[in-house]
Parts: sequence; C-alpha cells; structure tokens
Amino acid sequence: MHISARLPQLGYGLGLRVEYYQELLEHPQGVEWLEIVSENYMVPGGLPLVWLERFRERFPLAMHGVSMSIGSTDPLDEGYLSRLAALACRIEPAWISDHLCWTGVQGVNLHDLMPLPYTEEALAHVVERVKQVQDRLGRRILLENVSSYVSFADAQLTEWEFLAAVAERGDCLILLDINNIYVSAKNHGFAPLRYLDGIPAHRVQQFHLAGHEQGEALIIDTHDAPVASPVWELYAEAVRRFGAVSTMIERDDHMPPLAELLAELAQARALAEPLLRNAA
Amino acid sequence: MSSLQALQQRMAQAVLADKPLQLDDIRGDTSADAQARLSIYRHGYRARLRDALASEFPGLRCLASRRFNSLLDRYIEAHPSTHYNIRWHGAGLAAFLDYAHPWLQRRELADMARLDWAISTAFDAADEACVAPADLASIPPERWASLSLQPQINLQILMLSCNADAFRRAADQSGPRPHLRRFKHPRHLLVWRQALAVRYRWITDDERQLLGSAARGETVATLCDRLAGLSDAEQAMPRLATLLHGWLEAGLIQSWSLDG
Repeated sequence: MHISARLPQLGYGLGLRVEYYQELLEHPQGVEWLEIVSENYMVPGGLPLVWLERFRERFPLAMHGVSMSIGSTDPLDEGYLSRLAALACRIEPAWISDHLCWTGVQGVNLHDLMPLPYTEEALAHVVERVKQVQDRLGRRILLENVSSYVSFADAQLTEWEFLAAVAERGDCLILLDINNIYVSAKNHGFAPLRYLDGIPAHRVQQFHLAGHEQGEALIIDTHDAPVASPVWELYAEAVRRFGAVSTMIERDDHMPPLAELLAELAQARALAEPLLRNAA
Repeated sequence: MSSLQALQQRMAQAVLADKPLQLDDIRGDTSADAQARLSIYRHGYRARLRDALASEFPGLRCLASRRFNSLLDRYIEAHPSTHYNIRWHGAGLAAFLDYAHPWLQRRELADMARLDWAISTAFDAADEACVAPADLASIPPERWASLSLQPQINLQILMLSCNADAFRRAADQSGPRPHLRRFKHPRHLLVWRQALAVRYRWITDDERQLLGSAARGETVATLCDRLAGLSDAEQAMPRLATLLHGWLEAGLIQSWSLDG
C-alpha cells in the first residue's frame, strides 16, 4: 500500500495570462486557483510583480516553469534555481512544477520541451537531478509529461514507465497533462489508456487540459485551441483513476475571451464532479 | 561523454542546423519519417525566437518594416540562444546590427534595437525609492550646496543617431510610420521608469554630464561649478535649478544626502 505524497487539492483553475489580469480580479467566477509561468515573474521588479501580488492576495498560486531542463546533461543552472527559489519564497506557492524534458545542452537553449530517450541511463540521470532540485528548493516538485514528436531507437521503457519511475525513485509528484498524453499517443501510436494505467495514482498532483492542432502528419501541441473531445474523454478516464486532482485549463496563444475559458473550466467541473461523487 | 550527452548534442545540432540533418537516433514510421518529426523542433526553435524578439522590438519592426523578419532570421541563425528566458536573446540584437552586413550600413537599425531593449529592461528593472520635491522642502537654503542627489541606478542614457523614439511611439500607439530623421551629430536619450511606467526623453549634453556627476555623488555646489564651466556662468544656477526640479518631478532621483 502506498502512502499518498499528494499536496492539498486546489480545485479548478486557470493559467494566469496578461490578457486576463483585470477581468480575473474583477470577475473570478469559478476560478479557484491560478497557475503562473514562473519565468514571467523571475524579474527584479516592476509591473509583473505588482500584478502578481494582487493575485496572490486573492487566489492560491502554483508555479509552473519551462526552463529547469531537468533532463539536460548540462549542470543544473544555479542562477535559475536561485531566482526560482526567491520567487517561491516571495509568493509561497502551493507547489512548483516543470517538465520532464531537457531544453538545451552545451550552454545553448532550444526553448522547447525536448523529449528524453526512455533509457535506464536517462532515468538515473533525471532521478539524481530531481533529488538535487528538491534539496535546493526544500520541497517536492511536480514534473509534467510533455508532448513529443520524436521517439528514440534505443528506448528501453515506455514513456509512462519512465515517468512513473522518475516520480517513485525521485520522490516527486506528477503533473499529468491530459492533452499531451493524447498528442503523444497519436504521434507515436500507443493507447492513451495504457498510459493512464501505468501512472501511480498517489503521485498525481495536477492535471493540465489544453488544445492542440492537427498538423499534416502529426498532432501539434499548440495550446491555442479549445480542449478537444477525445481529450475530455481521456480526462474523465483520468478522474476515474486518480480521483480529485487539481485541474487547470492551459491556454497560451489565440487567447479567447475569458468567458470561453471559464466555460471550459465549468465543463471540467461538470465532468469530474459526478464521477467523484459516484466514486465516493 | 555519456551516451545521453552525446544524443542531446546531436539533437541540438540538428535543431540548430540551417539544413535538415539525418539523425539515426530517431525512429520514423508510416505517419511521419524521422526527418519530418525532427523538423517540428527545428521550425519551433526559430518560430519561438522570432515571436519573442518581435514582441521585444516593436520599434525595430516599425523601422525595418518588411526587412524585419529576415533581419531576425539572420540574427537567430548567427547567434544560438543561451539564456533560459527566451526574451533575453534580445540582449545581443543591437550589437549584431552594429557589425553584421548589410545592416551595419544602416546605423538607425542598431539605434532602434538599443532603444527597444532599454525600454524592455527598464520595464521590470528592480524597484527603487523615488525622492519627490516635497522630500527636500525641509532642507535650509544654506545647506543646498552640500546636497547630493543620487539618480536611479536603472536609468539608461543612449547615444542615438536618429529619431528612434518616434518609431517606438508610433509602434506603441499603432500610429503611422514616421519619417526617418538622421541627426548630424548623435543625441542622447534618457530611458527610465517612473513608478511603473517606462519613460524616455531627449536630454541635452549638459544634463547628461550632470547626471553622470550626480551618480558619482558630487554635491549641488560641484554640479553648479561644472555647469558654469560648460556654458554661461551667470546662467549656471537657474539652469541647475531647472534641471534638478525636472529630475525630481520625473522620479529620476532615488536618494539624497547632505555632506558634513
């Protein structure tokens, strides 16, 4: 039997984006928490931090980064970790997350969530770095599964085996991006339910829901469209398996009126709550 | 070198390469071959940097007009990004335009990039205290000579050869593209943040020199002597009073002290 490592649940939230600053403060209907992009607020001062303080007074916040590069073979960026820790100290987030990926090597940053080869070597490397980061930040972090377009010839594990092993051996939590599972499943030809079945429930702290775009041959994770029907179906399956998990809608481009995101958030709630009641 | 490190280096090389490279490490299948899959990352790297730089350099976009995208593409190809924050790749753009063909022949492009970047960095520079005119009201007139005024640490003075400010304003206000005016002699533009608003204005040469003197901690008496040496000695005192009042009103001063 596993003892849950989970942190308290925050309910249903949104990604905090500049476009919605004013409206979210004035009409936050149904938004129970906000996820910030950490790097946008790892700045010395000025307007970003003023807004952040206003939101911090009203909402629980979680920090979500894109630059930790936990899987890179370059040394961990101490400057980055120190700014991340300073921001965490300032806003006391419910948790800090980043991605199970690498973003650069040899000092060059590719500004993308590059997938890892799912090998024992990569697993040992990431687990060691998760421990280092958690020691540095003094808390467990969440790692998110990324959408990917390539897989590697020398892979020894499936993506879900790799993610589960990182979480268990590194003693960290999982941010499960339901859209990313769907995108990668389509791009690599695996069954998304097998993915869910392979994830340890007691490590799942947060869900992301987002939209994608059908490219010529592959599905592209664009975060610029409404959540697609198959992703909603997969979300329901995730709720059945993992129970009440903090959920948020992640939109990064083609920003719609806030009402559209609130409607998606209401849809997530309407889908999850009956399932949770039935399970209770 | 570990095999993971070698793989990451090969993959990074393939993403940065100006032409698609064959990578045997990657599996292709019937839906997309390895090269098509890798091309998503190659394209994404350039597109993200282009988008990030475009939003940091609106004045340059206005000035360079249809050449803007090719300018960015050349910069991105010539200089791989090294900062974790994508926005900071903009830090080197002005220097690139200073020396890279064919843009070095159009000095105004580097000037414009310099102003855009100064505005961008002022936006979220460290917060500083701000001395208001009322804060100095209690200083007796006979002590003013020994007063030192410390300017904001984050203020920037740019030496520009054209009316870059007009292009930035046009970009910010979605106004019509202004006419380019090249100056016979370079002029100085002051960029700073007053509370949360980034501001910029032209300054005269005497004001530039006095700001430098103030930053070195020189007293009002010394500033007055310097001003007297720069122009009409009789006008030094009223000119200094005008400048100091303007600095205080504009929020340029972060602290003050009295000698002795």
